[in-house]
Amino acid sequence: MSTLTSPISTSSRSTSFPFPSIYSFPPFFTRQPNSQTWTSQLSLWNSLILAYCRYNRIWRIDLNTAIEWDLFNNRDISRSLKLETCKEVLDSMVKKGDAEWVSGSGSQVSKNTSAIIYWRRPEEWANIIADWIDSTGQKNTILTLYEIAEGDLSLSQDFRGIDPTILRKALDVLIRRGQAQIMKSADGEEAGVKFFGSQ
Amino acid sequence: MAMRRGVGLAAFDKHQRTAQQYSDLGSTILQTHISELTDQLLTFQAALKKFAQSHADEIRSDPVFRSEFVKMCSAIGVDPLASSSANKKGSFWAELLGSDVNDFFFELAVRIIEICRRTRDVNGGLMLVEDVKGRINSVPGRPPVSQEDIVRAVNTLAPLGHGFGIVRLANKDFIRSVPQELSRDQAVAIEATQAMGYISVPILRDNLTWETARCIAVLDDLVASGLVWVDEQARPKEYWTPSWIRQ
Repeated sequence: MSTLTSPISTSSRSTSFPFPSIYSFPPFFTRQPNSQTWTSQLSLWNSLILAYCRYNRIWRIDLNTAIEWDLFNNRDISRSLKLETCKEVLDSMVKKGDAEWVSGSGSQVSKNTSAIIYWRRPEEWANIIADWIDSTGQKNTILTLYEIAEGDLSLSQDFRGIDPTILRKALDVLIRRGQAQIMKSADGEEAGVKFFGSQ
Repeated sequence: MAMRRGVGLAAFDKHQRTAQQYSDLGSTILQTHISELTDQLLTFQAALKKFAQSHADEIRSDPVFRSEFVKMCSAIGVDPLASSSANKKGSFWAELLGSDVNDFFFELAVRIIEICRRTRDVNGGLMLVEDVKGRINSVPGRPPVSQEDIVRAVNTLAPLGHGFGIVRLANKDFIRSVPQELSRDQAVAIEATQAMGYISVPILRDNLTWETARCIAVLDDLVASGLVWVDEQARPKEYWTPSWIRQ
């Protein structure tokens, strides 16, 4: 669970994120009543969230805590996005495939507050991981998911610290392509993954 | 004396002859004039062509030079962009410069349309020429364009109908890319946004001495047209022009 976003560290890291000019536009934090304006506002929020998460290497957003991040609060102009509007934004990202709702870490967390953010799609992660396997000569070796995300060889990689759910989706892509196979231990647990490299 | 006075029947003949001679002389002079003018015009056109061709690069790449060149053409009554020529070959300009400068403005017009189309949902189809210029010039590897170029390019779109045009509000040129015309109240309200970026019911009421109902009506109209964005976290609500979003 160490890979789950910890809001404290991310909010401190996020201060250097270069916010776009729209972030200083006060009405950006009010859901626009005009439907066309709202559509464009949604897509601006979508891009901002993706850029912010990519910059800060955030894999998941839990709205219960994220609502306090500077992403949704511009303290310079005292404007913040309402929780219900945040949900609408994430909903729209989910529809576009840029995010996916997940059940929160607590068991009784209300639905649709926690989402995986795909600042890269699983297919893209799959390609990046496959290239990394090739270039580091790890073909035909067995790696644990932890080694991929946190091992010494992935230190400078873009997928460093990747959320296990996203990693698993990327691996599924590679498995479908016949480039990887999940290895199970004697007790049936998934122990690691073997890569065959691209044909 | 009698001869000089030209009295008698013969005088009529002579008078006619004289008139004929004058007329002939007149048309000869006129002809000479026309051919001289034609010569001059041809010489001038050749000179202009030569000038334009030898400076085509500068005309295309230097906004100041281009502007001066266009001014020079206008001064002597040549509209470089007159495209509705009866001449099948296209405009005088196109003929003169081949595919150079004429295309420059049409290509620019296409880029402007593209920018206006892409930003229409954000700004309701009203965009500062300055902002369009900023976007165009932010693309590296292209010669810079001036606001004057943009206005000129937009004006070439006039024959396409009422979709595109330049609107002047608060001493700034805007490109309007939706057919809908601004009402007088809307135009005045948009002008007012240029001072601080936003307007509100009290701002309109106090500065324009409008009734509250009239202020509300025009603000609602502007929101409905997508021309302003509402900030409900301000007290009272503020209505912001998207041209305030700086890149």
